[in-house]
Amino acid sequence: MTRRTLFRKREFTVFGLIVVLAVVFSLTTERFLSMSNLTNLLLQLAGTAICAIGMTMIIITGGIDVSVGSMLGMSSVVAGKLLMGNAPVLLVVLAAMGVGLLMGLTNGSLIAYGKVPPIIVTLGMLNIIRSLLFQLLGGRWISGVPPAIRVIGLGKWLGIPISMWIAVLLILFFSYFLNSRPLGRAIYALGNNPEAARVSGVNLARTTLFVYALTGVLVGFAGLIYVARTGIVQTNTGTGFELEVIAAVVLGGTSILGGKGTVIGSLLGAFLVGIIKNGMILLNVPALSEGLVIGALILISVVIDVIRARGERL
Amino acid sequence: MRRMLGQIVENRMLFLLLLLLILFIVFSLGVPGFFTFYNLTNMTQYGVELGLLALAEMLVILSGGGGIDLSVGSMLTLVAMVIGVLIGRVGFNPSLSILLGLLAGVGMGYVNGVLVSYLRILPLIVTLASLYIYKSLALIVAVDPRFGPNPMPVSNFPETFYFVGQFRVGGIPFQVLFIFIPVILILWFLLEKHAFGRYLYGVGSNETAALFSGIDVRRVRLTVYTLAGLLAALSGWIITSRIASARPDIGLGYEMQAITIAVLGGVNIKGGEGTIGGVIMGVAIITLLYNGMQLAGIHQIWQLGSLGLVLVGSVFLNQALLARRKF
Repeated sequence: MTRRTLFRKREFTVFGLIVVLAVVFSLTTERFLSMSNLTNLLLQLAGTAICAIGMTMIIITGGIDVSVGSMLGMSSVVAGKLLMGNAPVLLVVLAAMGVGLLMGLTNGSLIAYGKVPPIIVTLGMLNIIRSLLFQLLGGRWISGVPPAIRVIGLGKWLGIPISMWIAVLLILFFSYFLNSRPLGRAIYALGNNPEAARVSGVNLARTTLFVYALTGVLVGFAGLIYVARTGIVQTNTGTGFELEVIAAVVLGGTSILGGKGTVIGSLLGAFLVGIIKNGMILLNVPALSEGLVIGALILISVVIDVIRARGERL
Repeated sequence: MRRMLGQIVENRMLFLLLLLLILFIVFSLGVPGFFTFYNLTNMTQYGVELGLLALAEMLVILSGGGGIDLSVGSMLTLVAMVIGVLIGRVGFNPSLSILLGLLAGVGMGYVNGVLVSYLRILPLIVTLASLYIYKSLALIVAVDPRFGPNPMPVSNFPETFYFVGQFRVGGIPFQVLFIFIPVILILWFLLEKHAFGRYLYGVGSNETAALFSGIDVRRVRLTVYTLAGLLAALSGWIITSRIASARPDIGLGYEMQAITIAVLGGVNIKGGEGTIGGVIMGVAIITLLYNGMQLAGIHQIWQLGSLGLVLVGSVFLNQALLARRKF
């Protein structure tokens, strides 16, 4: 890679922004660089980063999933309920991911085989799942889950949270998967030119089903991490989470038009969103403006993309 | 029999009318208190608020190019808060405050429209971002520094403010007669009798063809997003007046309801196809469904859940029909 292309990469811009923000926050606040704050930052990031892997693939195919927040809530409820019933940890892990898979398959089948646009399916599912979740919880909350599970959410290895290790491993694996496996390449092909992909033998419906189902499983796992970290599940758990994930992916350089993007970029995007949220809390900026900042960031990054694309054409 | 069934499903208006009739009969027979003049007219109050948003969504979706507006609920909220804060906290003249609130709606819609049509960003991303931006602004506006850092609702309005949302003329709610029906008539004129309607359907069904026939595609799109802002603002004003309170979470989830109604009413999510009549039928069906469920004592969260089912189900049906028509 020549120096010029490196600097033009989106990942580089985002990485630069992260470094700048980190320096700014460590100079302006006392607590930013403290061990407890950094650990906290990583703990909160892990779930977003894991879900962003799936969302990246979905957006690369030209789709979107706004139901991830509700899916996260639902798998947290299932995990939480089982934990309160003292189910074995392995069963809980499988159940959380299984519920995620089921929801992802529902989204995926409606989109791939029912030919319903992704935004419609997932917008509907966002509310359907939230209603079911409410019914399951019966308006109460779950709190005080047994400590056995909490190691997934709070445990550390070499000073870094276990959940973050898992996120990094998953990201490395799926980076390899997207770059080098046939199915991974099919995902890009589907996003770039569905017709050409179909002619060259890509099974469009199955590839589409795969990305939504995989996202379901990953979100299910993130739900488990959420329960393990906080020990609480409420009826509004996961509300608005979809924006955070989509923001991470779009900021990380994945084109909303499909066909372009990397999971590493999304990890960096997740870091950027996480650092901004963390810094805003440390600087005592009211939580109310969080949506304002993240929304504006998404718009700015997309506008930059548009301007860049114009430059490339010239 | 199969042919008849096929015809009913093919003819959207007939299908909707039948659905409406079935719901009406079921609720009239099964839910006490449903079939009363008071309840039926009361229901239309709620229908106006949803209906204005659904019409906004219809215009935007019709314009094609992935047209959708996820920010209608947030625009509504911010307008409600602007009006509420100006009247209730600043003590501004009510009429002027309402005017400023409506202008705020137009402004927000205009911003969406510029981003979509002139900067050519996908509507989904633009309005997802503006959903959060406008919502966040509404929360910030709602903070009353005198009572600490939390957003607070405003509810000290003068008596005259309640006119639009609570008064009735001959038993019919004011907002139905003097806002909803005029809006429907104006939009009907624009879409069916005016050149703008032909431009809009043209842009939505084939952008390139529209461009080559000299239609200013960007202007048409900018107009519909701006109109959507205005319609959302009208809805925000009416709700605030009806419930006598401007709450910073008032518009939560309205975007999904509006999109569902538009799509149920036969608006093709890909643009260029759909009628006002269909959308009005959609409004009637959903309003009836809500009211019946509420009277039957079903928890409110299931209103959204059932709406989600209707949304996915009706688009699924549309697509299945489209696939059949091709053969």
